[in-house]
Amino acid sequence: MPLMRRLLLMLMGLLLAGSIGWSSVHRPEQVTILMPAPFVDATADQVKRFNAENNGRIALKVIRGPRDTESISDLAISSLLLGTPPFDALLVDVTWLPKYVAADWLQPLDPWFDSDDIESLVAGAQLGNSVDGALYRWPFGADVGLLYWRKDLMPEPPQTAEELIQIAQNLRAEGKVKEGFVWQGRQYEGLSCNFVEFLSAFGGTWLDPETGQPTFDSEAARLTAHWMQQLITQGTSPLAVSNYSEPETLQAFKSGDAALMRNWPYAWAELQSESSAVKGSVGVSTMVAQPGASPAATLGSWGFSLLRGSLHQQATAEAIRALTSPDAQRDRFLRQGYTPTHAALFHDPELLEASPVLPQLEEALSIAEPRPITPLYAQMSDLLQRQLSGLLTEKRDPDQAMDQLQGATLTLLRSAGGVS
Amino acid sequence: MLKLHTLGKRYGSRWILRDLNLEVLTGECVALLGPSGCGKSTALRLIAGLEHPDEGGIELDGRSLDGIPAERRRIGMVFQSYALFPHLSVRDNLDLGLKIRGMAPAKRREQIDAVLSTVQLVNEADRRPEQLSGGQRQRVALGRALLRNPSVYLLDEPMSNLDAQLRDELRPQLRRLILQGPQPVLYVTHDQQEAMALADRIAVLRNGRIEQIGTPQELYLKPATRFVAGFIGRPQINWLKKTNGACIGIRPEHLRPDENGDRCRLIGREWLGANQLLLLEGAAGQLQMLCSADLQPGENLGVSWSPQDEHHFDPISEKRLSRS
Amino acid sequence: MAMVFGWPMLRYSWLSMHASSVLTGLEPVSNQGANWIRLLEDARFWQDAVQTSRFAALSVGLEIVLALAMALLLDQRWRGRGVVRALSLLPWALPTTMMALGWRWIFNTPYGPLEQMAQSAGLSPLNLLSNPDWTWLATVMADVWKTTPFITLLLLAGLQTIPDDLYSAFRLEGGKTRQALTAITLPLLTPYILIGILFRTAQAAGVFDLIQVLTGGGPAGSTESIAQYAYLNAMRFLDFGYSATVMLAGFVLLSLVIFTVAVLLQISGLLRPLKS
Repeated sequence: MPLMRRLLLMLMGLLLAGSIGWSSVHRPEQVTILMPAPFVDATADQVKRFNAENNGRIALKVIRGPRDTESISDLAISSLLLGTPPFDALLVDVTWLPKYVAADWLQPLDPWFDSDDIESLVAGAQLGNSVDGALYRWPFGADVGLLYWRKDLMPEPPQTAEELIQIAQNLRAEGKVKEGFVWQGRQYEGLSCNFVEFLSAFGGTWLDPETGQPTFDSEAARLTAHWMQQLITQGTSPLAVSNYSEPETLQAFKSGDAALMRNWPYAWAELQSESSAVKGSVGVSTMVAQPGASPAATLGSWGFSLLRGSLHQQATAEAIRALTSPDAQRDRFLRQGYTPTHAALFHDPELLEASPVLPQLEEALSIAEPRPITPLYAQMSDLLQRQLSGLLTEKRDPDQAMDQLQGATLTLLRSAGGVS
Repeated sequence: MLKLHTLGKRYGSRWILRDLNLEVLTGECVALLGPSGCGKSTALRLIAGLEHPDEGGIELDGRSLDGIPAERRRIGMVFQSYALFPHLSVRDNLDLGLKIRGMAPAKRREQIDAVLSTVQLVNEADRRPEQLSGGQRQRVALGRALLRNPSVYLLDEPMSNLDAQLRDELRPQLRRLILQGPQPVLYVTHDQQEAMALADRIAVLRNGRIEQIGTPQELYLKPATRFVAGFIGRPQINWLKKTNGACIGIRPEHLRPDENGDRCRLIGREWLGANQLLLLEGAAGQLQMLCSADLQPGENLGVSWSPQDEHHFDPISEKRLSRS
Repeated sequence: MAMVFGWPMLRYSWLSMHASSVLTGLEPVSNQGANWIRLLEDARFWQDAVQTSRFAALSVGLEIVLALAMALLLDQRWRGRGVVRALSLLPWALPTTMMALGWRWIFNTPYGPLEQMAQSAGLSPLNLLSNPDWTWLATVMADVWKTTPFITLLLLAGLQTIPDDLYSAFRLEGGKTRQALTAITLPLLTPYILIGILFRTAQAAGVFDLIQVLTGGGPAGSTESIAQYAYLNAMRFLDFGYSATVMLAGFVLLSLVIFTVAVLLQISGLLRPLKS
């Protein structure tokens, strides 16, 4: 009887172990990624394909976040603060990365993406993914600031800051357009993006690349501030740009009311749509620059970051690679117009045929300029936005504004121990 | 003298009040008596000028009130709710109208003090309505009407918010303050006893029309319609069963025990103190009888009445049938 | 109450005595009241406090006046009143962010309806969202549009507690309809008005979504509210110690205002008619 019982127990144990083993082999590993709503739609097919290819091994699930950039940041931060978030990876904006790394929320991606991978990317897409030498982000798509111009109104896009004003003013004087140059002047992150390009045009940078100190007391910064104010006071840009974000800017240009527009690559597809009054007469270029200065295109873009607490790091990395593969990017470029990051795709005949501005995008990406890579970026940008907004709307003295900005930024960095 | 002739009011196509003809003489108090919804309050509001008649007119001391706004009609009205201003003290409640009418402060003070002592509220002058008892509130409302020095008093159920004991106490006061004055008084109530006790004449209203106007005695002794006979007199009149043609009523106080009368069985009784109310079951149906004898339920007794105490009504028109 | 109110308050108080930001790896490190000293010297906080106050004062003031007018109108009997009553509640039912986006469109230069109207009237562009002196009035306008229905409803409820007999009695005493407003309606409505003011002031002092969406705090920071500054510090700058300090300071300022007003009201006896 004891023998029988022992045998029975052994049998049951075997069955139990077998069933556990069986199920652990066959239950797929669940990977969850948080994305803003538009990207969820853009990747829906690729997610389906990935799940089919990895059937039974990995199950990729995408959480549909809010549409708005700020809302998705709020959602991400809230769930990260609460401890273990319900996702393994998320799409982060290029400016959030240092902050997230400082908060110790992210896991480096170096084990899965090597230098060959990085070098296969177009120049601009290689930036803004690493903090202190570690790779924390893998770009979803490329994004840079562009200058859109009207082919029907000018033979060539303006090359310098003066030329831009001149062309715009002439066109306005001739009554060919209501507005000269529209851009993003609202007090928000977009204003900082615009400023980085304008500053480059006069040969300046936000932080000194050597010392990491702010350079708003430089000649370039002063010239930039004066020029931006002039755009409005002299009528090249309407006062309303001081409350424009991207949609308002696009609306003005798309309706044919403006000669020049600063915007991101997404605008191209919109401008070629049937509802566009300027369809077929839009050229794409990079921001102007003074002689001797090199033009810059502010680096935007979203990328995937792996969370520190993830229990499925290997599977998540595989999912990230699949969603950013050349095939996936080709797909998204052809269907939704998302700019690819893989250098080779910029010379792909099929893509070139679909979009005549791909070479201009590549050119802009070659001069991409990241915003300062520091955990204090949000504070710095906030200070900048407030001063610039004052410059544009209440005719604050540009020199004084730059002095104040220099002082405030120094105080901020000092409080953080960033500058001695 | 207040005179209403063919007064009518309708809401949409429904007549609330119709064909009201009534005179209230100098020094007279007429009660408008009827169940709720009979149009009696509407009549007051028409007289006060708060609403406009759709038919007929109103005359006060020989002058038509047509087109004269409410505030110029010199009406002393007491509302059922008293309508005291809750945010003002007793004094300020009384003062409000005088102030609006532009009386000098010294004179206002003098008049208010006089009225306060008349209505015995001198010590309550600075209280707000919420701090007063129901009877005191009623006296403030009376005081306000007095101060108006009106040509006519309109009292809308002034007692209905008070308990029975307080009502009995306040009746003499109402007489002293208002009813004994020279102004005509129109007194609206649904309580027939109150109307009998206070009014010189009563107008019984039903569905917006007058059923009968008369002194309390006339209404009691010679009710003009079946409705009036049922409405006036407590305990209520008995309606006899099995009558040929006419509808016959006999009041409980006119029944008497009689060995030779109709045989009835006593099925219930109520002690009223001086006498008792017996509920009888007999050939004439159920009867109520007032009686001083002590009888037990279940007992049989004979009941009779004098034919001249009977009230006969036409079963169709419900009008009183005159009998020679 | 202790759970939903007391615990966060304790937590914020504790946090306000610590540095907790990206610089400390989000770990709270005691900093001996440095946050509070920083707050006292922070011109931006005090500017936001002034802005929040004037926003609340003007919004609530206008809302009360408009709501009173609307409530008086809706209290009258007229054809279609039911429909208008229901419709007038719509702004209140609309989510704030949607409503703010709508107003951003209305104020849009040059394509928004307001600017189109100004243009067809021959005016130069208003640029209402680009003027540090006037933009706050645009936020007030949107807030008034959104919350007037709520106060209207409150006052309408108050109006319906006033018996019709009082107006009849007032007329018989010789009062004109116009006088009844100040002699009866307003005094008896005062408690409702005061409750509306207190409630809305507390709400307006915490204004966030509306301004965030409509102006983003601009131009030149002129429309930033205290709640927005606290939000920026927490969710954008990850500076939780200072965010807690700003939030707490805002709360203390508001409590002081509400408390003072409440005490004054109690002393003045204006709330008394409510008890009867």
